[in-house]
Amino acid sequence: MPPAEIWIDGLVQSCIYMTMAFGMVLVFSILGILNWAHGQFYMLGAFVVYYAITAAGIPFPISLLISGVVVGGLGMLVEKFVIERLTSPGYGMLYVTVATLALMFFFEGAAGMAFGLMDKGLSTVLPGVLDLGSFSVSYQKIAVIIFTLVIMISMYIVLNRTKVGLAIRAAAQEPVAASLYGISVGRVSLIVMGIGCALAAMAGGIMAPVYTTNPFMGRIPMIMSLLAIIIGGLGSLTGAIVGGIILGFLNSVIAYHLSYVSEFVLFLLVIIILLVRPQGLFGAPLK
Amino acid sequence: MKKWYNVVAILMATVIVLGIFAIGCAKTAPPQPGGPITINIGEPVALSGSAAPWGQIPTPFREAWFEVFNREGFQVGGKTYNIKLIQVDDQNTPEGGAAAAKQLVFGDKVRFIAGHWTWNFSAVAAVTNPAKVIFVTRTGAPDQLPASWGGLYDPKTMPYVVFGTPSQEEFTADCFALIKAYPNYKRLGLMDSVQSGVDSAGWRALKKELDAAGIRYHNEWFAVGTSDFTPYITRFAEAGCNLVFVAGWVGEFMLFSKQRWEMGYKDMKVGCSGPFVDINIYKAVCGPDAAQGLIGAYYDNSQFKETKVNPKYIAQCQEALRIAAEKTGKPYTYTGEIAWLPSHVLILVQAMQKAGTVDDTDAIMKAIRGGTFDTTIGKWTMSGEKTYGSAVVFGSPAPLCTIQGDKEVYLSEYPTKPLP
Amino acid sequence: MPYFDYKTLIPRTVIGVLIALFVIIPVFTTNVITISIFISSGIWAIAVMGFVLILRTGQFSMGQAAFMALGAYTSAILTIKLGMPFWPSFLLAGIVSGIIALIIGLVVLRVGGIYFSIITLAFGEVVRIFAQQMEGITRGARGLIPPMPPTIVLGGFEINFAAGPVPYYYFMILLVAITAVVFWRIDRSRMGGTFSSMAANQILAEHQGIHLMKYRVIAFTIAGVFTGFAGAYYANFLSIITPLMFGLWQSIQIMMMSIVGGISSIVGGALIGATILYTLGIYLSRLPIFNIQYLLFGAAVVLVLLFLPKGTGLVDLWGKFWHKVFREPEEYEMPEESEMAVE
Repeated sequence: MPPAEIWIDGLVQSCIYMTMAFGMVLVFSILGILNWAHGQFYMLGAFVVYYAITAAGIPFPISLLISGVVVGGLGMLVEKFVIERLTSPGYGMLYVTVATLALMFFFEGAAGMAFGLMDKGLSTVLPGVLDLGSFSVSYQKIAVIIFTLVIMISMYIVLNRTKVGLAIRAAAQEPVAASLYGISVGRVSLIVMGIGCALAAMAGGIMAPVYTTNPFMGRIPMIMSLLAIIIGGLGSLTGAIVGGIILGFLNSVIAYHLSYVSEFVLFLLVIIILLVRPQGLFGAPLK
Repeated sequence: MKKWYNVVAILMATVIVLGIFAIGCAKTAPPQPGGPITINIGEPVALSGSAAPWGQIPTPFREAWFEVFNREGFQVGGKTYNIKLIQVDDQNTPEGGAAAAKQLVFGDKVRFIAGHWTWNFSAVAAVTNPAKVIFVTRTGAPDQLPASWGGLYDPKTMPYVVFGTPSQEEFTADCFALIKAYPNYKRLGLMDSVQSGVDSAGWRALKKELDAAGIRYHNEWFAVGTSDFTPYITRFAEAGCNLVFVAGWVGEFMLFSKQRWEMGYKDMKVGCSGPFVDINIYKAVCGPDAAQGLIGAYYDNSQFKETKVNPKYIAQCQEALRIAAEKTGKPYTYTGEIAWLPSHVLILVQAMQKAGTVDDTDAIMKAIRGGTFDTTIGKWTMSGEKTYGSAVVFGSPAPLCTIQGDKEVYLSEYPTKPLP
Repeated sequence: MPYFDYKTLIPRTVIGVLIALFVIIPVFTTNVITISIFISSGIWAIAVMGFVLILRTGQFSMGQAAFMALGAYTSAILTIKLGMPFWPSFLLAGIVSGIIALIIGLVVLRVGGIYFSIITLAFGEVVRIFAQQMEGITRGARGLIPPMPPTIVLGGFEINFAAGPVPYYYFMILLVAITAVVFWRIDRSRMGGTFSSMAANQILAEHQGIHLMKYRVIAFTIAGVFTGFAGAYYANFLSIITPLMFGLWQSIQIMMMSIVGGISSIVGGALIGATILYTLGIYLSRLPIFNIQYLLFGAAVVLVLLFLPKGTGLVDLWGKFWHKVFREPEEYEMPEESEMAVE
């Protein structure tokens, strides 16, 4: 039985994977594509927060919001000028997939050139630990947990209780019918991309003090959110949350028991799921 | 509309193709000044990838050191020579190393490669040996141990390899230096990423020495790309380790130190198997409190207590540090490079002088084997005839420092013993 | 009136001249680096051809580099551990890679669509992790160094692989030529037509009586065999094989090369895309500004995708060029028509 600190660690990992996966699924359900550059928005959000705090002295919570807005805006630009062009009828899925992959490397290179390759740290944000007897948890990690709760609650409110949310849900289920009702699917796509990227950016921002900030930090969260979506089911928001939770805890517990083999086990698990039950836990069953 | 797309596409394709040829043809041959003859020395170095900080930060110092060195140059057979350093990014991977080596050997036509510390020894050696290029590198990437231990260094097929820095032996010496500094340790924790090979020949050699000296230890390996070390810290704590030596890259070491402090294991001392890149980075990532007491390698040769260094080389290095600080405009404290490229270059230079030639590779190698050389890290004799099959392993003071306040402070030293 | 069909003959002659030029390049330049670039481009072109073949059946395989890795490791392990000479190990590498492709294909292709793509991606990662962890066989991340093929003596004429890249170059041309001919014939054959119909509309194809699974597996296996050959040859040429050489980034690169080259032509598109992108990558990595290669590479690919007309790649510009050249004045130019490439 792993000690309590492993469980708390698993919880923190779950929160991040959950948030990232949620953003990816949101984009997938409207635009029909997997945004391979999702991890790069995470990385860009972390950098925005880093520079907001160190260069401009803006307090952490506001920096988070700024990173969400800025990177969300960037996401919308990408959607408008790249994704929209490449998803018009006549192009195959291959084009937009390759485009998002190319963007992944573009952003990594741009960040590397603009910000340098050295690891940057933000340990001065929310310093200190909460003593829980036999072990302690840093306030930064507690902030991650609180942040995720806030995000999930606000997402629930937005999607279920606002008009925009209603439009998003309608467009996700039946785009043609939704457009008949006057919902501009193009506009909804833009908004959803903005929200998805903003979620990734804020996830990166809240994690910036916990880990180091460098141009390559987006790769692993991208893969992990992909795995979480597969476990939970492509296209299902609940699936993204549940998948994130499962993945986070599995990661920590397996690493505790089997150290470096955890990577292997996770990928094997994903392949088995894809073969046995490709729609994951909550996805729509295949025809 | 359609035609416009076509035109732009064709224009772009043309631009890309022209750009490729332009960049490819833009090789500028530097004009040869009258005076000292220039010898090119190549260095495949990690300028990108996870070890990039260690590859990039010494650049000002390297340039400064060669500036100082070339003021005098060196004399062989009545002629004066200067050295020009050519660096190629090897991306810290074997395939990058092979590509970098091919570029240096066939493109830039160097006859020596020195200062190499990334872990792609086999790849580079496979290129340099057939081309008769002397390759000065380090031991320690566990595929150099002789064939009997499953390694890939074979003095018969690789006659032009010199181990200018004994990293493998240094790692063992570092452990002993740690124990020397903290004799009341409970258990030594050792951690490395699986990149080095789980329980490889190098690790087994290290553990053999630790066992012989009666040192208690616990070994862990982590997957490449781990940033969450909580499970490993827990395992170390459960094993009773209060002195942990992390053989990973900079980011991994920083995260380990930060996380162990936050988890409450404040009396767990952490050391890294390399010099500190820049203390401010560690303070920024780990927090100023967690960064205190971190242990690292340390090569300020003016501070060595047990190894005597030629005052001429101490002065050269201090001058180079000063110039580097001037060039970067801020205090320059990275001393790690002193034990690498300058030391390797001095070995080569003295070997050339002993052999009386700069062209005859075999004569130079003969002068290196078993010879005694005086460098920036002291005077050592090449050893390792029995262990490696050829006496081409240099020595090292294996010095450590600890972070106190804003500075690196000398901690302890455990000079490597000559290998049989 | 022309006595011969100059509209098809002239472009074909131009291609023939280009091919002849390529074959005698080593006469013009002895620059090791340049020849190495061409060798590598040719090998990646083979992998791209495999990818496009699978694409013709309507599936994206995001793990093609894994088959290169399988072929490379098979060949390296056979030559190093079992002392087998290179050429037999090369053949076995392709066969092993093909068998694994067959097995994976049989199990995985029934899912199809995006799930298939993700499984191939995961498969690619599993192969990489496997290679990293199986220390005893693959020496993990430190890699294996396969020995060069022995010198071949052909009655007074010696082919020495250790002397330089030129022998590797000619064998690469041979390999690319064989692969190109095979894929070309498949594309033009009845089976190729079946592939295209499957990609166009799966349900309709099924209703026409086409057994989807059978053709998908055939395409996947053939691609696997040739990609395995490519990997084995490449590892031997570079004299090194490590788990990270054929990982996710390389699979992505294969996809990019295929798109930029153009998926309408299996052979031409693959060659153009592979050569241009590989050369671009090499020259960008020479620039002293770190990370500019990622930035420019990504930007170049995105721009090419955005600005090329729908569904075409660079290879289609060839067809358009000749169409423009041979255009009769009174011909009515159809605006949105995408011309098939001349080859």
